This record gives sequence, structure tokens and C-alpha cells, in this order.
Amino acid sequence: MIGMLKSMATTMKHALDGEKFTVQYPEETPDVSPRFRGVHKFSQERCIWCRQCENVCPNDTIQIITDDQRNGEEYNLHIGQCIYCRLCEEVCPVDAILLTQNFEFTGDTKDDLAYNKEQLKNVPWFKDIDPLASREPDRGAWIGEGEGEVDYQ
Amino acid sequence: MSLEEPKATDVGEAPDGTVDYAELEALLGDAVIGREEHVNAPAFVVRPDEVQEALGALREEAGFDYCSCVTAQEYEDRYESIYHLKKYDDPTQEVGVVVPTTRDEPISQSGEAVYRTADWHEREAYDLVGIEYADHPDLRRILLPETWQGHPLGKDYNPEKPQVVPFRENANPLEPDQRGDGAESDTMFINIGPHHPATHGVLHVETVLDGEQIADVEPDIGYLHRCEEQMCQQSTYRHQIMPYPDRWDYVSAGILNEWAYARAAEDMADIEVPEYAQVIRTMSAELCRIASHMLALGTFALDVFGDFTAVFQYAFRDREVVQDILEDLTGQRLMFNYLRLGGVAWDIPEPREEFFEKVRDFLDGLPKKTQEYHNLITSNEIFQLRCVNTGELPPEVAKQYGATGPVARGSGVDIDLRRDDPYGYYEELDWDVITEDGCDNYSRVLVRMREVEESAKIIEQCVDLLEEWPEEERTIQANVPRTLKPDPDTEIYRGVEAAKGELGIYMRSDGTDKPARFKIRSPCFCNLHTLREMTEGEYIPDLIASLGSLDIVLGEVDR
Amino acid sequence: MIPAQTQTPLPDIIGDLLGFGTEMGPGETFIASFIGAALVGTLMLTMTALAGPWAKRKITAAFTDRYAVNRIGPAGLLIIVADAVRLLSKELIVPEGVDRPAWDLAPIVIASSALLGFAVIPMGNGIHLADPEAGLVYVFAVASIASVGLVMAGYASNNKFSMLGGLRAVAQNLAYEIPLVLIAASVVLFAGSLQMSEIVAAQAETLVSLGGVAIPSWYVFVNPFAFVLFMVANLMEVGRNPFDIPEAPTEIVAGYQTEYSSAYFVLIYLGEFIHIFLGGAIIATLFLGGPAGPVLPGILWFIIKIWAVFLFTQWARSALPRLRIDQLIEVGWKGMLVLALANLVLTAVIVGVIA
Repeated sequence: MIGMLKSMATTMKHALDGEKFTVQYPEETPDVSPRFRGVHKFSQERCIWCRQCENVCPNDTIQIITDDQRNGEEYNLHIGQCIYCRLCEEVCPVDAILLTQNFEFTGDTKDDLAYNKEQLKNVPWFKDIDPLASREPDRGAWIGEGEGEVDYQ
Repeated sequence: MSLEEPKATDVGEAPDGTVDYAELEALLGDAVIGREEHVNAPAFVVRPDEVQEALGALREEAGFDYCSCVTAQEYEDRYESIYHLKKYDDPTQEVGVVVPTTRDEPISQSGEAVYRTADWHEREAYDLVGIEYADHPDLRRILLPETWQGHPLGKDYNPEKPQVVPFRENANPLEPDQRGDGAESDTMFINIGPHHPATHGVLHVETVLDGEQIADVEPDIGYLHRCEEQMCQQSTYRHQIMPYPDRWDYVSAGILNEWAYARAAEDMADIEVPEYAQVIRTMSAELCRIASHMLALGTFALDVFGDFTAVFQYAFRDREVVQDILEDLTGQRLMFNYLRLGGVAWDIPEPREEFFEKVRDFLDGLPKKTQEYHNLITSNEIFQLRCVNTGELPPEVAKQYGATGPVARGSGVDIDLRRDDPYGYYEELDWDVITEDGCDNYSRVLVRMREVEESAKIIEQCVDLLEEWPEEERTIQANVPRTLKPDPDTEIYRGVEAAKGELGIYMRSDGTDKPARFKIRSPCFCNLHTLREMTEGEYIPDLIASLGSLDIVLGEVDR
Repeated sequence: MIPAQTQTPLPDIIGDLLGFGTEMGPGETFIASFIGAALVGTLMLTMTALAGPWAKRKITAAFTDRYAVNRIGPAGLLIIVADAVRLLSKELIVPEGVDRPAWDLAPIVIASSALLGFAVIPMGNGIHLADPEAGLVYVFAVASIASVGLVMAGYASNNKFSMLGGLRAVAQNLAYEIPLVLIAASVVLFAGSLQMSEIVAAQAETLVSLGGVAIPSWYVFVNPFAFVLFMVANLMEVGRNPFDIPEAPTEIVAGYQTEYSSAYFVLIYLGEFIHIFLGGAIIATLFLGGPAGPVLPGILWFIIKIWAVFLFTQWARSALPRLRIDQLIEVGWKGMLVLALANLVLTAVIVGVIA
């Protein structure tokens, strides 16, 4: 009997102390960490069309189309298919593609979520946080060069 | 005169605890037709019609009572099944048994008579690769539907060809169900799942009931088969495979899964991880373990208490705190993609003191929360009535089925790869392995709750170390080339202690930057296999409670 | 025809208001009773509508540290309208092979059996529909018609899970009717009558006077052991945690309710809450002095008491796991029955000695 009464006392304590763990979204937006991986933002000025992001993407979410002179024509990223692994941002040598903290995006159909470079450029920062500024101290951390010859692939 | 009795050593075990392969070869006699060297242990190539003899000798006389994995693969000229054997008492003693068969007649003897766990593993090998096993009690497809044509992981499979199955081949859903002892029996056949509030995912359990008691239980899996192995075989070692392990055991055990892959790949390509990265890996892995056990506790309470009552919500609330910490560290709350081959992706976030304070606050609040769980769960008489002496799994049966993790430790089997086959920074830290002798649902829950406390100890020690780590020595990644091409024909099988048990990965490289064979040994797959032993003769509520205490995640069972 | 004026208080009041006079004929009695029944029914259904979609969620959220319904309407009360519209607008799916009249009638039986019980409960301020001499027996008899409804639902649904739920419901109800009635019988020994108004009146005398405050002789003070037993047996009767086995969502999906959708589901869902309130009303009448209480009018005290019992059921639900069916039967036949009999004998001895 005592065990059951203890259980009941525990839940009643929670009821009476009135603390809430949940937040009332959307009035209160939660704070996300600076490293949070949200929607991508693409900067055409910085992109050098090296196609590293397209190569590294695990499920072929990025599609790049260039013409014969390797000028970039299209950069498509399907944010519904993306798994938000951040490998594209990691391999990009010029920080042209970044993952913002923005997780508030919607689309009516799945095809709406295939963003082209215009839409990727216009992705808003979440609460105006530019992730580069907050991730700056860590940016150089992942780079590893092979022993001996450097391996350009 | 010696004071202790000399420990009886198995055949093939040298006095210092390593395996003497020459002795094992002598033991197996003329079943052996060759030898192979895998990175983890040498393997004996055995004739396909002598499999049971070889495995039996290894089990009975050499003491290899733990068959961790059965891998099947197809080469250009042959098929191969590999039995990876270890010992429960010392998992570093490993041996492999390779069984080649010809391409036109891929039949080899089943190992099920020796190791019960080979039952489902061989069914999967037949299903995905196409090897047939003679003497197997019930060789049918396990992951794919019964009517699937072709074997996807074999060489001849054409994925573009449409699967055309005539209607008459499918099972007739309108036919009256006659299972059990035939048409005249008193038993009722009932399908629990795949749509069911308590099956932890899409699991289909075919149950034959005698009143409210269970006469026969058969789990039918494969509803969440996502071809993870094939996807990993099409991705590069260096970067592209790493997001996928998060998605095997998708309930918060991401870093533990990633570590399984990282360990296997690093051992195969001979990459050494810097010590600082090892400490960070250990800390984040234990945070994941806490989150996973919290969820296991919550969903088990859901099954036993009925609906989303208090315990479930409290467990999730506590898990949220862990997810917040991991979000600060890795950038995501569930699919972390944090480990890289050779280290981790990111260092501790700046400012470091804030992060450590957050972790310490969480650890300080943990004893109060565990006390609450003890009040709500373990000391509750009704809970004890429901869970003590239900779902019994004797240790010998657990060993036969290859059960690991809290399921095995709740039956008194003392195996924990963090201590027995050390990796990361576990060896340098001070913590205990929790085992309980109850063998029932209650002891499994207790094991999980106490493991949370042990993980908290580990995290605290890691945080102390990280705070004082000198700044110049904070290397988070080793120098690994951008494209990793291990030497051809290197095979490795490595396991780590994931949240549910031993998660093992077998990889074979063929000189390219993608694996030629990637096999995942899932702990939930082997644990689920024990369900029938646990629930014979018990009631439906006990079946549900046993499923909850096994803590299966269908993503890992079906891959 | 026996006028039995004192036995239908509410219709008498209504008859007065409508100007039927003190001697009402059968037609006028019928009209007055009909209006009275409609009033009582509406009051109870309003409370149930409040409890089901709104109060239950608020209470559960308080136990689990969450915010609950607070978006629609003041304090979230319009969720009741939203839920009603949503549930009633769903498609009524009739599965193939159901046993038609039984399947349709089951929800009606479940809901109406509880409403019938409210006819004899004294709610204070003259709101008391009928007062037969065997009121208590009537209440228990009518409340157990619900088991018939459960079995009808379980068997007629052509679904193995439902059948399991129905069987469990029958086993559970059989096991708990007897202890329930035995404990009520001990109360009857104290009060000396089966008539509900007599039982309430018997509790109005002062038991002790503590520092100027007169404690009435509510049976909860006189015999707390019986009170605790009755609360537990009531939980079992009503089918709430820890005894919600017939419905056991995580084991047999929804038990006997599995195949019901739309209006039928509403009837069963609300029927469960009406049963909880009926159980609360019985407890209030038998143990808590009915509508008695200082300052506030009787009907308000009555409502407060049945909500208190409802809160207790929600509290038990949040904290206690569910028993297995065989353990439940064991507790019923071996534990509760013995204790109830002991209580009855003890009460008989005490009453015989004192009175």
C-alpha cells in the first residue's frame, strides 16, 4: 500500500507546485543553440561551383547545373529530402552554403520544398542570428589533410 | 601449494587469455579447408556440409558460446556465410567461421542447431543474399514480404525490374485463421500490430491465444526495412555513411550507433583517434545512453500504466534536458552526425564554462529525478505485481539467442563491451557494470535505471577531465585523408555497447572508397528473437510488458 | 393510484410551478416528471461535457507539468464545442459482419444506464426526481446494466480485440458488484433504510462538536474503512485506472470500443464519464452526507462532492499502473469480498450493540 500512496503523492506534488515544462509556442520561441542545423542559405557570390557539396551529399539532395564554361546556372536543394547532416556546409571551401537555425518553413506540396538558388538566397535568419558568427571559432576544426600527398577529389 | 583452483581453460585458450588458433584448427580437424585473416580475428574456412560439426566443436569444447553475427555476401565466384563467434566471458576472444558455397548451388548447413540465434540471421541471409541453409527449421523470408522476387544484396538483382506478383500468390486475408493445433482447437489467432499502440513501432506479432494465455508467439518483422545496408554500401566511408547510423536506433542513441561505425572503420583503416576526442566521444555517448534509457523507461511505463500518464511525461521531460545539451554540442537533437572518422566534428561550444555548467546542473538534478522514478515505479506494489516473475528469460537461453545489453544483464549475464572490449575512454574511468539476477521484466527495468546513474558518473568524470584539458592539446580530429580507400579485401567485424546491446558492424573493402559489404548486427534483432521464450504460457498484458522491457526499436530490427 | 406525494419531490415542485395543483392526474404527473427528468439529465450531461474534453485534459496536464487546453475560448472552454463538432462530424463506419441491432444498441445502453441512476439521487434544494423506498437497490441495479452494454459492444463488433475486452469487462464487473453492494449494505445498517433521502437525513445529526464546529455524522467519519473500500470498489466498477482492463489501450487497442466511431463513440466516451459521476453521486449520498454543507446551497455542495470524486479518479489514473485481469479477479474475490464481509459483520455488531 505504501508504495502506491507514494506514487500518488508524487504526482499530486507535481500538480500542486504549478511549474510547467512546456513553452507556449508560437508566442514564446525556444532558444536554439548556435549550432542548430536548420534550412540552408546559399550565397551565389561566394560559390565557386566546385561541386563538392553535390558529391558529398549522402542522398543526392543537391543538384547543380553548370554550362560548358563551368558557370553556374542552377543550384537546387530539396529541403524536404535533405537529412540536415551539414556535410555540404562542412566541405564547402568558401562558406557558400550555410545551415541557418531556421526551422520554420512550410510548403503546400512536396515540390514546393525543392528550393532553387533564389529561394535559398532568401531564407531568413532565425532571430537574425548569422551562424557563421557563432560558429567562427570552430570553423577550422574539422579540416584534416591526408598524410603525405594532399588528396584533391 | 596454490590457494585457488586453476581456472579451467577451454580448448584453444592460452593461459594468458588469448586464443591459440593452431589449437583450434587442430580441434576442427578436416572440416577446415583454409584460413583467412580478418582485422578482428583469424577465421577458418569450413566446408558447407560440416558447418554444424565445426560450430558445435567450437561451442562445446572451445567455449565460444556467443554467436554475435552471421554475415552473408556474394562474390563474383561464390557465396559466403561468416559466423562471428565470441565468448560471453571474454568478448575479446574471437574467431570467425567462413562457409563458402558455389554460385549454382548455394546450400550450406544451418548453424541453428548449435546457436539458436542463427535461426533469424540465416533467414535474413536467405532473404537478402540468397544462400539456402539445409536443416534450417523454417527457412522463409524475414525482412521482405513472402512474395518478393529476387535477393537484393546478391549480384544478380535488378532493382529496376518491377515486382509482379500474381494475386493468387498472396495470402488470402478473408480466409478464416486456423493456427495452433488445427481447425478443432480452442485457440484463437490474433494479430497484435502492426497498427497498435504498444508495439513500439511497426511490429507484427502473430499470437495464438488460449483464452487469455499465450500458446504461441511469432514476431513478424520487416515493416520498417529501409535498405540501410545497401545505402551504406553506396556511400563513401569518409563522410557519407556517417549520417546513417543515427537512423538505425533512432530513439536518441545516435552517437552510440555512429561510434559503432566509427570504431569499425577506424580499425579497418588504422586510424588513431586523439585522446581529447575520445573523452568527448565518451561523454556524448553516455548522454545518449541516458536519453535512450529514459525513453525506454517512459515507454515501458506507457505499456504497463496505460496511456500517457505521469511517468511517461516525466521521462520525456528529463530526456528533453539531455537533448538540449546535445543540441548545444552537436547541433541537432536526434540525428547528431557528430562523430567523424578520426575524431569528432566539433569541439565543446564556446564559452566552455557555460556548457560544463549546464551539464553539471543536469547531473545534479538527476538523483532527485531517479528518486521520483523509484517512488513511482519500483516501489509501487501494483507495478511489482505486474513485472516481477513475468517475462522470464533464463541466462542460458539468453546466451543461446545472443542477447546482449540490458536484456542479458537483467538475466545475470555479465557482458558489457565497454569494459570487456574497451574503446573510447572507458578504461580510464571509474564505473560499474550493472547486472541483476531476476531474469524478469522488473530486473530489466532496474538495470536500465541503474545504468542511468552509472552513465551520470562517467559523464561527470569526463566533464572534470575536459575542463582541465590543456588548451594546446585539444585535438579533435586525427589527420584523415579526404577520401578513404582501405586496402582491398580487408574484412572487419567490430561491436560497441549501444543502448540496447552489442551493435556490431561487418565491413569488407574492395579498394574503392565505398564498402563492398556492410552488415549491421543489430542488438534489437537478437533480443526480439527471445520474445517467444519469454512469453510462453503467460498472459497478453505480460506479452506487452515483455515487449516493452526488451526495448526494441524497429529501425534497428529491420534496418 | 397511490399519490405518493413525498416520493417525487421534483415533479411536485414543477407541478406547482405549472399550476397543476397538489393532486395531479397521471398525465400531469407525466409532464412534470418529464420536465424534471430533462432538467436533471441536462445538468448531468453538462457536467460530463465539461469533464470529458476540458477538465480531464486540464487535470492530466497539471499532473504532468504541461499547459493544456488554453487556446480556444476563455480558459479553453470552447474546446468542448470544437470537440463535439469534430466527433460528430466523423464518418460512422459500420464494419462488415457486426451483429446489427446489438452493435447499435450497446452505446445507448452504456450511456443511458448511468443516466437512469441519477433519478433517485438527492441533489439538494428539492432536486430529487424520485424517492422510492428501495432507492439504493435501484441505483445499483441500474448501474450494472452497463455490463450488458459492454458485452454487447464486445461481442457484436466482430473483432477479436473487442471480444477480449468484453469478456474482461464481464469478469471485472461480476467480481466487483458483490463487494460494492456489501459495503453499501453496511451503510444501510447504520441508516436503517434503503430510501435515499432517509440515508441523507440520517447523516445530518451531529456526531461530535469540535471547538464549536459541529461535525455531522457523515459515514465517512463514522466508518472510514468502509469509505476507503467503497472508493476502491467504485474505481473498479467504473473501469478507471488502475482497473481499466476492458479498455486497456496499450494491450487490446481500445477493447470493446474499438469499432465505434463518431456518434457511437461519443456515447460510449461520455457514458464512461457519466458512470464516474454516478459513482461519485452514490459516494456522496452514502458517505458524504449528500447535499449537506454550510453556507452554500445543497446542489452546489453536491456538485463539489462529485467533482472531488472525479478528481480522485484522475489522480489514481495518473499514478497507478494497471492490474492484470487475473490479478484483478483475485483481488476482487479474495481481497475485497473478504474485507467487505468483515466490514458488514463488524457494522452489524456495532449497530446491534449500540442501538
